Amino acid sequence: MFRMAWRETRGAWRHFLYFFVCIAVGVGALVGVSLFAAHVDRAVSTQAKGLLGGDLEIRSSHPLSAEGRAVLGSLDQRAITRTHVSELVAMAARSTKGSTAAQATQIVELKAVDSGYPLYGALKLEPSASLEHLLHPDLSRCQSGSCHGAVVQEALLLRMGLAVGDRLKIGTVEFLITGVVRLEPDRMANAFSLGPRVIISVAGLKASALLQPGSRVRERELLKLAPSLSLESLRAELRGRLAADHVRVSGYRDGQPQLKQFLEQLSRYLGLIGLTALFIGGLGVAMSIHAFMREKLKTIAILKTLGADSPLLIGAYVLQAIGLGLIGSVAGMLLGIVLQRVLPPLLAGAFVSDLLEQIGASTDLSAVSIGPLFKGGVLGLLTTLLFALWPLFRVREIAPAAIFRREIDPNSSGDPHTGSTWRGKLGLQDRFSVSTAGALVGGLAALAAWQAGSWRIGGWYIGGVALAILSLLGCARLLVWGLRRMPRPASLSLRYAMGNVLRPGGHTGGILVAIGISVMVIVTVSLVEQALLRQIGETRPIDAPTFFFIDLQPDQTAAFAKLIGAQTAGRTPEMTPLVRSRLHAVNGQEVKIEEERDQDERRDESKEERRKQWYLSREYVLTFLDQLPKGNEIVHGAWWRPGQRFAMPQVSVEEEAARSLGLEVGSRIDLDIQGASIRAEVSNIRKVDWGNFSTNFYMILSPGSLEGAPITYVATIRVDPDQEIPLQEAVVAAFPNVSAIHVGDVLRNFANVLDRLALAIRAVALFCVVSGGLVMAAALASTRYRRLYESVILKAVGATRGLIARSFAAEYALLGLIGGILAVGLSSALSWLLLTRVFDLTWRLHPMVLLIGLGCTVLLTLSVGLLSTFRILGQRPLAILRHE
Amino acid sequence: MIAIQHVSMRLTAGGRPVTILDDVTLEIPSKQTVAVMGPSGSGKSTLLGLMAGLDRPTSGSIKLDGTEITSLSESRMAKFRRAKIGYIFQSFHLIPTLTALENVLVPLELAGNDSARAHAVELLQTVGLGNRIDHYPVQLSGGEQQRVAVARAFACRPPILLADEPTGNLDSQTGRHIMDLVFALHRDYGTTLVLVTHDQTIATLMHRVIAVRDGRIESDEILPGVSTQSESPL
Repeated sequence: MFRMAWRETRGAWRHFLYFFVCIAVGVGALVGVSLFAAHVDRAVSTQAKGLLGGDLEIRSSHPLSAEGRAVLGSLDQRAITRTHVSELVAMAARSTKGSTAAQATQIVELKAVDSGYPLYGALKLEPSASLEHLLHPDLSRCQSGSCHGAVVQEALLLRMGLAVGDRLKIGTVEFLITGVVRLEPDRMANAFSLGPRVIISVAGLKASALLQPGSRVRERELLKLAPSLSLESLRAELRGRLAADHVRVSGYRDGQPQLKQFLEQLSRYLGLIGLTALFIGGLGVAMSIHAFMREKLKTIAILKTLGADSPLLIGAYVLQAIGLGLIGSVAGMLLGIVLQRVLPPLLAGAFVSDLLEQIGASTDLSAVSIGPLFKGGVLGLLTTLLFALWPLFRVREIAPAAIFRREIDPNSSGDPHTGSTWRGKLGLQDRFSVSTAGALVGGLAALAAWQAGSWRIGGWYIGGVALAILSLLGCARLLVWGLRRMPRPASLSLRYAMGNVLRPGGHTGGILVAIGISVMVIVTVSLVEQALLRQIGETRPIDAPTFFFIDLQPDQTAAFAKLIGAQTAGRTPEMTPLVRSRLHAVNGQEVKIEEERDQDERRDESKEERRKQWYLSREYVLTFLDQLPKGNEIVHGAWWRPGQRFAMPQVSVEEEAARSLGLEVGSRIDLDIQGASIRAEVSNIRKVDWGNFSTNFYMILSPGSLEGAPITYVATIRVDPDQEIPLQEAVVAAFPNVSAIHVGDVLRNFANVLDRLALAIRAVALFCVVSGGLVMAAALASTRYRRLYESVILKAVGATRGLIARSFAAEYALLGLIGGILAVGLSSALSWLLLTRVFDLTWRLHPMVLLIGLGCTVLLTLSVGLLSTFRILGQRPLAILRHE
Repeated sequence: MIAIQHVSMRLTAGGRPVTILDDVTLEIPSKQTVAVMGPSGSGKSTLLGLMAGLDRPTSGSIKLDGTEITSLSESRMAKFRRAKIGYIFQSFHLIPTLTALENVLVPLELAGNDSARAHAVELLQTVGLGNRIDHYPVQLSGGEQQRVAVARAFACRPPILLADEPTGNLDSQTGRHIMDLVFALHRDYGTTLVLVTHDQTIATLMHRVIAVRDGRIESDEILPGVSTQSESPL
């Protein structure tokens, strides 16, 4: 059997070259993605303490109460090291004169640290001095009495035209830029960074007067425990003792849940795209073997007359397929190792690459690489087997009498008597075939589930793929049927081309499925990306504000309005009071935040339950207003009348939040505002248009309810583009504690991240397209002999090489056109499904994306086709016709 | 008129050089009918193929009506073939994706004939397939396929018709029909006819019989008593 397998392989290297490459490309995509994921995951795990900044983190959005501080102070006697970090957004202004081309003001992400920072991991600084030293420079370097240093990200220097040694005004203090920070272990991997990092000392922050009552700040207390202490018990203890402060206590092991989840999802979907590439490659395997079998009809018949039975023959060919699949898989693993080195640079600019650098994820192979490599190899081998079995079982149908046929027509579509029924057409004429088909689909589903790590997702995936294949095949049949009934084109080359596409029992179906699916994947990615970009770009109303000014103090509002008026020729900013709070109780029942539970446990919860948890545990930014804001609509209850007085504060709740929290008109909620509690009655429920780019609220209180609470104001204003920079500079100069958030910049940031992500996804999707092209090349290779034959007949009756080339081109273009039309149609449907079901966005036709997709498909089939058949054109007729 | 001078054809088969034609010189005047005979592998089909420009000889010169075809470019040769040569193969060689009519149309359209369709229909009627013009080759019997091939070969009224064992794959009765057709068309159009055959009966109907063996012309004799003007003897 082994010898038979080897002899058969030796003689048909052409088919098997495609076979081998198809598997290699698919396995390559899969292995590349899984290696990337495994390496990132390993890095996240080993760097978990550095990422969190400590063994434990206590986080709150306001300074701790005196009792809270006392609790922390008591830790010092228990072999616990701690350090405090404050993070906030602020405006930096250039005080040293920089180049005029650069910005004079810039929003920054400020981080104030004390001498203990960092507890874990290391900052990478330039010059490489200690952070402590850089933040507290010698007095001789400053002109004034106090001297505060700042270490900044290089981006800030570039944008503001500054250099190390220059001065930067933040709040009321001039900081001396003493160094550049290259790497910061615990910077939250955040997609939406508002500006470059500036690190200062706690003393510097205090001096800057940035922190005012109600200012937006993230206070983090980082703890390092002696090995003897139990992390879990300390976490539980602190949660209890700091309950009144509404802090979040997390350990390093459960740190970065969002990050982990994001990476997990990214690699899962990239992995499924990789699997698609592998399955498309599987089609190529099936086609190669099918073509091989067709050529081998005679050999098989002869072997059968010599006494070989079907099991022996199938065994030999299966052995052959396994051997080739193995070689292909190994080559794919090597390809995957190359791919995972290429993936991170593709993500450059997106936060993922910063993260990769931050956690020191390496692309070097190590013990964790074995799993993905092995899995990729096994997937490649199993896919080979599954796709090879189907055509191989046809060996059973070949009768020994086949050798008596004078000539086995290479174009006939199998036995004439099996072709008439639908079962025959699908190759399901007996129970054996049906069970093979069932095993094939089941096997593929199992592979998908294994790759996705979930039966549910694997099931959805395989269902989707099956649906796509069926609709592609159905549409292809329909189109071919329609074309057959059309009048034949007048031009000879076109007619010949069409004849090739419409040839019964031909390769058209397979090519269309392979090309169609691969193009569908990549076009869908583009469509979804376009829709998301449109969502953040186009839907911004014309009157959307240019700036959000945050952290305005109540006593600054009048002066602020005056300044805005002066700067913008009399426009008034819209100012809204803000108060931060947490939900304390709903209808008298105290809210319990269950954050201890594992991610895995959470996944099993219903979406509804998770949503409820989110609404219960989030921080609510409250406001009080006289008027119902625009873009809001009352669905239950009524808005309060101006001047109306209530026994109890009234609250208006957003519809979704009300539903998740189980609130109705008349319900009562207790809100905790930095230690003080107020009880409010729900007087109405609102629907909010969240896309209107102004300040929107889940909860709005009636006027007067929040007296005495630490209020800040947010001001929104729309200005002309040429006023933007002068306005921002004027505000920063007059109100150093106020931060100007430029809506356009934030959206651009977001679009940029989206763009990089889409690029990475597309890079993997490109493997599908390569696979699709390979399948087409494999299919064309199986028609090579027939094409050669026909082209020399045409030559014998006087056709030139140009004419034959034109007709080949027309054929490939026609294939591309049909495949492309089907693919863009399917991807429109798929993107509609994704956008409306997953992203909750409206779907719109994108003719440009579809046209580009279609054009590229035609280009793809044209180049693949011509590349794989151009050699035929130069053949001389005589030798070929003689040997017929 | 076909003028072949010192034509040799050498190929490498299995790494060893094989001489298929060895210094063949031959002249065939216009309107002559010639049978080329010889055992398998003697080089007769290669000789015919070279006359049609389907391959190039290793050395020597082939002139058709004064044009040296061995030096024509591939596309010039294709155009020349359209105008001058009809070719009939032993195994028909129709294009399977095209109908009978479309197969006959191919050379006509290549030559840019405006009334191609009407002419092709007429030709198919002449060969007795007027009612099967829309059938595909697989739907036709061997004899019918060869009749389509004959119609295709004569479509452009070429001055030279080359036929490589046109009846070799057919039973004797069908073969006779095909030869009838070929002779009738030869008579009607005054075509030069060169025919490779194993069939002595067919050979005796020709003006001239050339025997080829081992790549060389073994004998070349003009047969007496057969006139180009005569009725088909079959």
